Amino acid sequence: MKKRIGWLALAVCLLACLIISCTQKPEQRMMTVLNPVGSPTPTPLIPMAPRLDTLEGKTIYIVDVMYPLTHQLFEEMQKVLSERYPKTNWVVKSKAGTYFDNDPKLWEEIKAKAQGMIIGVGH
Amino acid sequence: MPAAPFVTARFKDVAEATAASDGMPRERFTYIHHPVSNKPASECRKYIEGNDPLTGKPVVEEIVAALTKPLSEEEKKTGFVEKPRERLLKPDTAQNLERQFLENGWTDGLLISLPTEEKVSEMLKATSHKPDEIVGQMRPSPAQAPWKYTVEMVAVNAVMAGAKPKHFPAILALAATGQGSLPSSTSSMARMIVINGPLRNELKINMGIGALGPFDEANAVIGRAWTLITKNLGGGGKAGTTYLGTFGNNYNYNNLCFAEKEEALPSGWKPFHVQKGFKQEESVVSVFNGWTLLNYSAYNPDPYHELMRRQMVALEMSGAGAHHTPGVSIQTAGMLIIDPVTAKALEEEESFETKEKLSQWLTENVHFTMWNYWNAMPDYLKKAKEGVQPYASLLKRAPESDSPLQLFSPRAGVEIVVVGGETNPYWYAGDFRYLASASVDKWK
Repeated sequence: MKKRIGWLALAVCLLACLIISCTQKPEQRMMTVLNPVGSPTPTPLIPMAPRLDTLEGKTIYIVDVMYPLTHQLFEEMQKVLSERYPKTNWVVKSKAGTYFDNDPKLWEEIKAKAQGMIIGVGH
Repeated sequence: MPAAPFVTARFKDVAEATAASDGMPRERFTYIHHPVSNKPASECRKYIEGNDPLTGKPVVEEIVAALTKPLSEEEKKTGFVEKPRERLLKPDTAQNLERQFLENGWTDGLLISLPTEEKVSEMLKATSHKPDEIVGQMRPSPAQAPWKYTVEMVAVNAVMAGAKPKHFPAILALAATGQGSLPSSTSSMARMIVINGPLRNELKINMGIGALGPFDEANAVIGRAWTLITKNLGGGGKAGTTYLGTFGNNYNYNNLCFAEKEEALPSGWKPFHVQKGFKQEESVVSVFNGWTLLNYSAYNPDPYHELMRRQMVALEMSGAGAHHTPGVSIQTAGMLIIDPVTAKALEEEESFETKEKLSQWLTENVHFTMWNYWNAMPDYLKKAKEGVQPYASLLKRAPESDSPLQLFSPRAGVEIVVVGGETNPYWYAGDFRYLASASVDKWK
């Protein structure tokens, strides 16, 4: 008797599945697709440099990355900072080349002569 | 050394994404009003004395805090940032998956073919390379860390673009160039694909009537696949973050994908890939970067090369011609897409027996106009006004006349490709610069 009930239950289940799959519209059918998106290479975190305890007596370079027609901003920044922080030496420097170019000589100069840097990136 | 970067507010997203990609997700940015370029000093001073438009805090205070406020534990962190990637997406209905692809920005806005295992598997049969082999890498923008991708990942995007397996080696070759199709520049750059070699006929790539138009499967799907690869596998093309083109460029839909009509080249004119050192029997994809194509379809009686010279002067105002830092790197590159009828006349009637000869003549004879010369070289203008020669005598020239400065840098020159339906002696002149070529045969 138990065996017969088991077969009956199995048959009912199969029938139910068949009915569901036959009545399901194609747009409701589930499908699996591959992920189209890649991922960046693992990035090492760079710890930020220790900050200054004071600006007094320090030299800070203000670096113009050479986006066209923006140098006046850097000159004005130097003036404003000099007025507000007169005990700090604020130096404006333009990077060599265009804003696409690296300027290792300037980075070396800053390492040798300055304790901090402000760099402008913009349009 | 402590650094305090400041950026105009319009570029917040790209600045932070770039810093994160370079391993400094906590970089202390200060934002100022946008734009700055060409603003008078008085206005710039107001920006600096005012508040950061995004935080509402005084700009000067933020800059000083960036240099002096002690670091938090987060800012001192070391280690690696990794983004895990699942190979398969969660099962769903086709309709929902299509919506997911569209809403996540994984398409170009048009309907894609969903990349099922069956379709991707079929695509992979068209190459001898293993699915997990690294094809190359692209950067979302020049300052960001590269993304690497495998043969299978390229196949997924090829399926999405509607490509058939026969197109796959050309798409792999494009991916192998490492060049993306959507440069992040605000100037809305375009890319171009030129295909050479036997593959042109095997795939029926259009090189005749309408070659640069929406007419043929191979041109459409190969070009489209490059854009999907750029977005999905190179991390590029995210509007506002890794793509900042003010207008965008419609050429990016299939990246001007066409083949050179090698069979119609004048006898001394080499196919483009041969000019770049490949064998004639090799199939090659070559990619270019530019902005603009200027059409010539008139019936002016002047010699074609002279018309080209006059027409190409206008490129001083497009793309790289105008997009320069005054006094530095101001020259650009040129390109001619020439119908075979024009090419034949240039060779037979105007004595340009080779592409190189025409390219050299144009490089030497297309010049900046005087007014743009003075704009581009402010130091020369200052010297001219002080009476320093030879600049002072140039002040006598009319603004629209030729300056001594060549528009095209001798290094980039003028690239020439022959294509078209031979209906008329027409051409396109553009500011496209050659970037790279890759063998398709290597990816079969």
